[in-house]
Amino acid sequence: MKSMLSRSVLAVAAIALVAGVGQVRAQEKLHSYQSGNKEFWTHPPDDWFLGDETEAQKGLAPPSGPPTGASEAELAALVKKIKLPPGFKIEVWAPGVLAARQMAWGDKGTLFVGSFGLGNVYAITDKDGKREVKTVLKGLNMPTGVAFEDGALYVVAVNKLIRYDNAEANLDHLGEGTVVYDDMPSYAAHGWKYLAPDKAGWFYIPLGPPFNIGLPPTSNSQIRRVDPKTGNAELVALGVRNSVGGDVDPRSGRYWFTENARDWLGDDIPSDKLNMISRLGEHFGYPYCHEGDIPDPKFAMGHKCSEFTPPVFKLGAHVAPLGMKFYTGNQFPADYKNTILIAEHGSWNRHKYQGGRIVRITVDPDGKNPKQDVFASGWIEGDQGYLGRPDDIILAKDGSILVADDWAGAIYRISYSK
Amino acid sequence: MRSRLVFWACCGVVLSLSAIVRAHAADAIAAGREKADMCVGCHGEKGISQTENIPSLAGQQDQFIQWQLVFFRSGARKNEQMQPIAEQVSNEDIRNLGAYFASLTPPRDPKPDDNPDLSKKGAQAAAGRRCASCHTDSYAGTKAVARLAGQREEYLVKALHDYKSGVRSGGAGAAMTDVAYPLSDEEITALAHYLAHLQ
Repeated sequence: MKSMLSRSVLAVAAIALVAGVGQVRAQEKLHSYQSGNKEFWTHPPDDWFLGDETEAQKGLAPPSGPPTGASEAELAALVKKIKLPPGFKIEVWAPGVLAARQMAWGDKGTLFVGSFGLGNVYAITDKDGKREVKTVLKGLNMPTGVAFEDGALYVVAVNKLIRYDNAEANLDHLGEGTVVYDDMPSYAAHGWKYLAPDKAGWFYIPLGPPFNIGLPPTSNSQIRRVDPKTGNAELVALGVRNSVGGDVDPRSGRYWFTENARDWLGDDIPSDKLNMISRLGEHFGYPYCHEGDIPDPKFAMGHKCSEFTPPVFKLGAHVAPLGMKFYTGNQFPADYKNTILIAEHGSWNRHKYQGGRIVRITVDPDGKNPKQDVFASGWIEGDQGYLGRPDDIILAKDGSILVADDWAGAIYRISYSK
Repeated sequence: MRSRLVFWACCGVVLSLSAIVRAHAADAIAAGREKADMCVGCHGEKGISQTENIPSLAGQQDQFIQWQLVFFRSGARKNEQMQPIAEQVSNEDIRNLGAYFASLTPPRDPKPDDNPDLSKKGAQAAAGRRCASCHTDSYAGTKAVARLAGQREEYLVKALHDYKSGVRSGGAGAAMTDVAYPLSDEEITALAHYLAHLQ
């Protein structure tokens, strides 16, 4: 546990470090790693994500955000720059939620929020009319995914799904929790996860490959459906790269998910994806085929793209779609009902960043007639500057939505009134 | 005339904005100075440590200070003295402390280098291990990468040994662990001497 924690922290710190010296290392030779072996999966180099560097994309690296997020003054200035459709309003709902990732509501109105390399889980409560952000769990291994069911908080930390019973009554002492499922590899690269509960109370859990591109270990590059009560699990999708968001369609009960495509093929390919699972065990193409129509230059291995399930919609290259939700509330205009809101984290492996916004996809339950509108934008300034990076969305009881931002370390609220 | 008015009005806006930014930075430094009272006991007056194995913080990189405090607070970097202190500081405090320590004049060894040969060996080791590619040519650091120039010699020895043995985990650990692991004791001694005496 301890070594895993430090390794993940190292990975995150390394990203900051690499970003700090991007210009210096632009002079050096291209990064290249042999990633198709267990030594690499278990002990990835600190800059594993640079392993397939090309001349054209040389020197690009994930940027590091401000260590303590944005100050309240910076957030006040930031929300003024966000563009929304007429009638919508954005405000800061909670500042100081460092590295905020997936959100989940407790039954009594507590908002639980996971985080990335800091290893924290937060609980945000109303205290005398003021919102209070409390760190309720510490030292977990990239606890990005959270869910709440039957009074219990669930946290997924790479290879452990942990349950904390009666969580809202025990915010000051959640304890060690109970590991309810751990049949998952501990690989750090793309090991951070998301929890999407369905009506039966099972969680869809994505397992990403431990590198950018390669033949993945058979234990990942897939989506599983896990019953947290029994630890039973089934394999529902194969050939999935890095997915950190998904939701069950209220119309059909089917699982839809976002997927981040491989890096280092260029600024404009391949497109990130919105997918839907139509039948058990479907294969979505990775690593053989990207965006439904680009065979991998090295790992196509004789396969044709027609063998795999294509995306429902191509979201664009390097937009980094993460958390997503079907809009099921009543506050937004009627045509928002059952459309999909997707938080795009934005680029790093692209010369001019894109994404860093929220898009809305209107699509039939069978995946036909997809149409995209930009819902909220303005988090990117210049070619490679972030004010913030949206990464998850959750509906509030009143039909507004909350948006998590791990760069600014904040939760926003977006509401509508005529 | 009108365009000139617009020009001056725009200038005025820019000037007042930059004045606001400067005033804001000055506020942060002042607030940081106040908060840093609790640091003086160990890290010394004006961020110059007089205590063995405690680093000087004067002129350290703003982001480096902030990250270390965030890592101490979350428990990712472990230290018995620092953890309870970091748990008491808010994000605002951390930003102010970063601004304050970064604004101070970096440490400078008042005595001349008493072992130039050792410094020469250290400089060679630093070139061989490509330390400057992250810590910059002047070893003043940048962003999340620490300033090393002028740091206390025995603290640099300690930090390199901690990286080498894996004791130091939080914060830029991966790169440093890889670099420090193959260092010999002689190299560590020479590197620390060289960096401590850099002006």
